Parts: sequence; C-alpha cells; structure tokens
Amino acid sequence: MKKLVFLALVLSLFIVDTSDARKKKKKYEVIDVTNGGSITGTIKAASKVDDPVMKIETKKPDEVEFCGTEFQSNMYIISPDLGVKNVVVALLKVKQGKAMPEKDYVINNLKCQFEPLVGLAFKGNNFVIKNSDALFHNTNLGIQLKGGKKRAVYNLALPNLNQVLKKKIKTKGVHSIKCDAHPWMRAYVYSSDSPYAALTDDSGKFEITDIPAGTYKVLIWHEGFGEVKQEITVEAGQATTLDHTFSK
Amino acid sequence: MHQKQRKGFFVLSLLSLPILLIMTVMLTGAENAYGGNANGEEIYKINCAVCHGVKGDSKGEVCYNTNVEKSGKEITTYSRDFTLGVFKFRTTATGCLPDENDLKRIISTGIPKSFMPSFNDISPEEKMALIEYVESFSERWEEEDPCDVITTYMPNWVGKSYSVEKGKKIYQDMKCWECHGDKGDGAGPKADKLKDDWGHKMVPFDFTSGALKRGTAPEDIYITFTTGLDGTGMPSYEDTLGEDDRWHLVSYTLKLMGR
Repeated sequence: MKKLVFLALVLSLFIVDTSDARKKKKKYEVIDVTNGGSITGTIKAASKVDDPVMKIETKKPDEVEFCGTEFQSNMYIISPDLGVKNVVVALLKVKQGKAMPEKDYVINNLKCQFEPLVGLAFKGNNFVIKNSDALFHNTNLGIQLKGGKKRAVYNLALPNLNQVLKKKIKTKGVHSIKCDAHPWMRAYVYSSDSPYAALTDDSGKFEITDIPAGTYKVLIWHEGFGEVKQEITVEAGQATTLDHTFSK
Repeated sequence: MHQKQRKGFFVLSLLSLPILLIMTVMLTGAENAYGGNANGEEIYKINCAVCHGVKGDSKGEVCYNTNVEKSGKEITTYSRDFTLGVFKFRTTATGCLPDENDLKRIISTGIPKSFMPSFNDISPEEKMALIEYVESFSERWEEEDPCDVITTYMPNWVGKSYSVEKGKKIYQDMKCWECHGDKGDGAGPKADKLKDDWGHKMVPFDFTSGALKRGTAPEDIYITFTTGLDGTGMPSYEDTLGEDDRWHLVSYTLKLMGR
C-alpha cells in the first residue's frame, strides 16, 4: 500500500516536470547536404521610385560641420531594368541543412551614418560594433515586430572614437538599428537562424544554394517596400526561380 | 486482521486524497508553477488590466500620467506593454528579460512619478502567480534562457569628494551631458528630439529634481548605468565603463541630486 502511495507521489512529480520540458524549441540541425537544390531570382520594382533625401538636424555646432545637413537615404537603389538592391530573401523555420556561416557582423558608426545600411547576420556569431567618429554614438538595436513595434536587443553606449564592442547574436528576424543621439541614423540587419538567407545585389539578383529538397516559407523584405511571405518548393539538384515585383 | 486491513485502506484513501486533488488541479491548469493556488489571471484583471489592458498590450482605460517637473518640463509616462517583453528596470544586461525579483519589486514598491502604485497588499504567493500571468503575454519568456542577475557591491568611497571629482570627468568624457545637460538638469543639446521605442517623447532625467523613477539608492543609479533602460535612449555602459568608473559616476550624480 505504501508503495502505491509513493508511486502516486513520484508520478505527480513527473507531471510538474513535463511542463518545463515543453518550453525548449528545437534548434537548427547541421547535416550533409548532397544534391541540394537552389533558389535564384530577381526582385524588381513595378516602377522607378525616387530615393528620398533625408535631413540632418542637430544643435551641436561641431556636428553640423562634421555630419552635414542632408544625405541621400539610399532607401531605393533601383537599377535601370528595375532590379532592387538590399532586399532580404530568407527561408523561414528551416529545421536542418548546411553549416551556419562563421562570420561576425560589423556595424560601423561612420560619418554620422551606419555602415552597412542593410546586411545579413547569422545567429551564434557576434555583432562587432565600432565607433569611427569622434562623437558620442549609441547603437540601439531591436527586433521589428508587427504593428511597427520594436523589441530592444542591445542598447550600447559608444562615447569614444575607435571604441569597439562585441555582442553575441542571439535573436532572429529583421532588426532595426538606431542611434538616439543622431535620430537620422538608421540601418537594418536580418539575423538568420539558418544559413539560407541572401541579399539582392545592384541588379536585384540573389542566390541561395545547397538547400535540402522540401517546401519552405520564404520572406522577402525591403526597408521601403515592406515584406511578403510565400511558399516555395525546392527539388533535389534543381534550381528553382523566385522572382518578385514590389509596387508602392 | 480484518480490522487492520480496513484501517490501512482508510489511511491510503486519506493520503491519496490530497494527491488526487493536486493532480486534478494541475490537469485543469489552475495550479501555478510556484505551488500556490493563487489565480494570477484574476489578480491581474482586478488590479492591473485597468491600465495595462486585458490583453497586456497597455490599452487599458487609464494609460498615462503627466508629471510637471520643477523645471516646468512635462514628463508623460505610459503603462508598460507586456506583449513586447521589454522592461526598463532590470538587474539583467541590456536586451535581457528582467529577473522575477525585478518584477516583484516593481509590484511591491510601485514607480514614483508614474501611475504605477504600490501593490504591497498582494501576498507573496499572489505576486508570483501574477508575475507568471504577466509572463504569458510575451513568448519571450518561453523562448529565451534567463540572463544572469547583476549583483552590486557599493565601494565605501562612493560619495567621497575625490570620487565625485572623478565622476565629474567621466560625466564629461562619456558625453552624459549631451542629453542630461552640463548641470545635470536634463537640458543637453540632444534632449529635445528623443523618442522611445513606443514612439513617445522621451525626457532625459533631470538630476537636480532628485527623484528617480527606479529608486534613489546609489545601487539603483549604478544598475541603470550598467543595464541601460531598454526601449529608451539610455544605453548600457556595462561594456564601456569599468565598475569603479560607474561608481564614480554614481558619486557625481548623487551630488547633482543633492544627496
């Protein structure tokens, strides 16, 4: 009888334990990808879009001199045949595939701007944040969420010239970067939890390779045009085409 | 013999009754992880939803409070949107979720100069159930590993005149004055155009007003320099300033606050 009671007690402990176990989500698994497929394509604009010029407003006299009063935003870099540069194309929720790139992502504060404007980072590596100006900068990086909301990831002070900070890339998705001291400064980094992400070049072209055959959800994101998600099926050893045209 | 068996059965049923009860409560989900029976959802709806919203999105009935500083500046504070999982007052590094004790403290003490009152009448068990419910508004609590809590040991030289002098230089070098002003009155050249991640106007802290929202103990000021205030323009100096330098800065800002 006592054993039975004991058993019931032990059983009830297990029930408590399982509630903790469901918390962890499955992580990306590296496998040998043989005869993988690829996705290539071109992201275009329906028509030419003027690239806005942005204003610089500051009360500090030394900054007026150093930073200037306006700059080309480079939000819409569109080729003569309407290819759009700096579009992120990324496969979502990939469970397994080739190894993650081992490459840190550099965010440079240079002449009152972030460099680069848009880029790809891969989880597990580091953000390397540099201040190349003799000015106070802060790098306020956060995940862009639905409804224009933002979730802070790091907000770091870089008060001095040549300051370099290293921070682990722990979060995924489209991150926006801003400097509170210079509100016109902006940049975006897509942090991927799989190696299957690409950025379009000057002609709007991209390529993602060595993908295990299967059906995937793909994100196409651009600072000005916004984002779309769609499904794509990749076949072993085949190149699948993914083209998209953004319109404003 | 017969009597003994019956007694044994009686003892067993007595013992199994609470176990059965616990299991039933667990399966129906009314039990919280801290072993109590307090209903976090109910406590939330009664005490918190009026400002923080039934869905935790800060869209309650009374959402903000405007405070007029002695400088004449208006500071408006809004109720926290729990769906983002971003908190200003933490003892964890920038970008981290707060520790449970951080949330417990805010519930207990409230936040001066804001609408957040003290809920010290809520029992410790109810507080934990409430925190568990608040955590259910953002998936962050399920997805992320908890961060280390930053411990603070105040050196005995904090507030001494040489430390104040060092802190004054750090205040200059770290460009604190760009937002908080040369005199610490929050009137620096960058002070006007600041906006937080929720799109609200931000007012850099006026040290001469002397009253911090987080608390005015030296440790509270130190932890703000260390963690920054996520969601606002106040960055973390954990990687930029050594611990001693952060304490010197505490010495100087205490002086600015007249403490």
